[in-house]
Amino acid sequence: MTKTPRKAPAAAAQASKRRRPLAAPTRGKGSARTFTTRPIPVEFAGPEHRFVRADIEISGIFHGEASYEGRIFLNNPKADAKTPKDLPNGYAGSFHIFGHGGCLGDVGHCEVSGHNREPYDFRPPHPLTPAMKSVTVTTALREIAKSSKAVTVTVVPVVTAINELCDAENVFRCENIQFVTYN
Amino acid sequence: MRLDDNRIAFVAHCSLSACANTRRELVGGAPSLPGITKYRRLGWNERWATEGAFKAMAGELRVRLGVHNLSDDQVKAFRDAYRQMMQISDNRGYQFFAGLHGVPSWYCWHHQHNAHSAQQMRLFLPWHRAYLYNFEMAMRDRVPGVTLPWWDWTLRPPRQRGIPGIFGVPTVGGQPNPLAAFRINLPNTNPPLVRNTKRQPGNPNDLPEQSKVDDVLSRTDWNDFNNAIEDVHDDVHGWVSGDMGVVGTAAFDPIFWSHHAMIDRMWWLWQVRNGSGNISTDLLDTVLAPFNFRVRDVLNVNDLGYDYAAAQVVASAGGTG
Repeated sequence: MTKTPRKAPAAAAQASKRRRPLAAPTRGKGSARTFTTRPIPVEFAGPEHRFVRADIEISGIFHGEASYEGRIFLNNPKADAKTPKDLPNGYAGSFHIFGHGGCLGDVGHCEVSGHNREPYDFRPPHPLTPAMKSVTVTTALREIAKSSKAVTVTVVPVVTAINELCDAENVFRCENIQFVTYN
Repeated sequence: MRLDDNRIAFVAHCSLSACANTRRELVGGAPSLPGITKYRRLGWNERWATEGAFKAMAGELRVRLGVHNLSDDQVKAFRDAYRQMMQISDNRGYQFFAGLHGVPSWYCWHHQHNAHSAQQMRLFLPWHRAYLYNFEMAMRDRVPGVTLPWWDWTLRPPRQRGIPGIFGVPTVGGQPNPLAAFRINLPNTNPPLVRNTKRQPGNPNDLPEQSKVDDVLSRTDWNDFNNAIEDVHDDVHGWVSGDMGVVGTAAFDPIFWSHHAMIDRMWWLWQVRNGSGNISTDLLDTVLAPFNFRVRDVLNVNDLGYDYAAAQVVASAGGTG
């Protein structure tokens, strides 16, 4: 498991009323930053261990801005949006984020304050409470664990919809990444 | 009766007595979902007939059909319903319903939040089922008998290529096609949103394939299934891109509703096989605001008065014995 600090949403910096109409989202220009974990021990997935399924669980995902496909590569920290999605390149699977599209409210509208809720606050949680995604990576992990005792996980965000309210660079932000196996 | 394609059970519209022989042929299997009393697997994993189909034969259920199989009259009725709703500015109109999902009301459930515990809420599927139900009923207020068709994005040429044609053509009969775009009129959001919806679809080959649907439907655990189906849903939103690509404006795009009908249909197919799953009691009693349903109220589509089929024909109740 690895941790990375989650950056504050770019939209939170917005200050006042924006009167310029918002244009429709586009696919963007593909400059989103990739993220790579430090090496994670994977002895648990070696040939001597039996498991029927392995997932990568990513939690604390910020989904307040752009929509994107998160392509997961194992042991390929140089992977980018042009890297083929195949096993020789370490491609293990993808997840998809249906983003909020930036803040379309006034100041504070998209700030999540779930940690300070009163015990009897039965209102629904904030829509931007961080998300969790699970990607089954059994084949790729099994293959890599034959020859490696540790793997890096690289997430390549490929933007599918973004507008001017969204941070085009820091698209993927999360709190935890972990492997889960089932036997 | 004919099977329209090799994947979906075909529903004929005729009286129960006229369909008696067919009914005997289809009956079998053990039910696990209230309201589905008998069913039989017909072959490929989506070829199902349910008790609901027979209710439809009796005219009790409305049947949601595949976009790719709509007749000209059905397309016209579908367009007319949207066109009329788009001309209404109050809470019977298109903008009102679209605005419940994202901007300005933000009622939708995505990415499963729970403010009180680590347990995931999994309200994505039931909330959208309630949402589509209310939208469809508003459509029928405008054009009686119309139903919401589902967009099967797994279809490949020559049957369909990317955005279905009825949603893609900009004009019909010299008028703007109400299935192609909608003019959002929200001058008081921050920033203002006053413009037509747009799309920027990806390569049609990148849409989820049938194998992906099969994988999702093979998940027997409710939570696992939820995660998988929501991810496919997210994928298609991103594929359409433009306004469909983000939560805030997605429901203003007219194709939104047929995409979600496909997701709802997938959930129903899963339910026919697996029952309602291991949904917690807490979740069953959760209210799906702003609609007058709890989760338990929307588990059975037949209880909501509808079912899914690929296509529909009307047959005379008469015939030879």
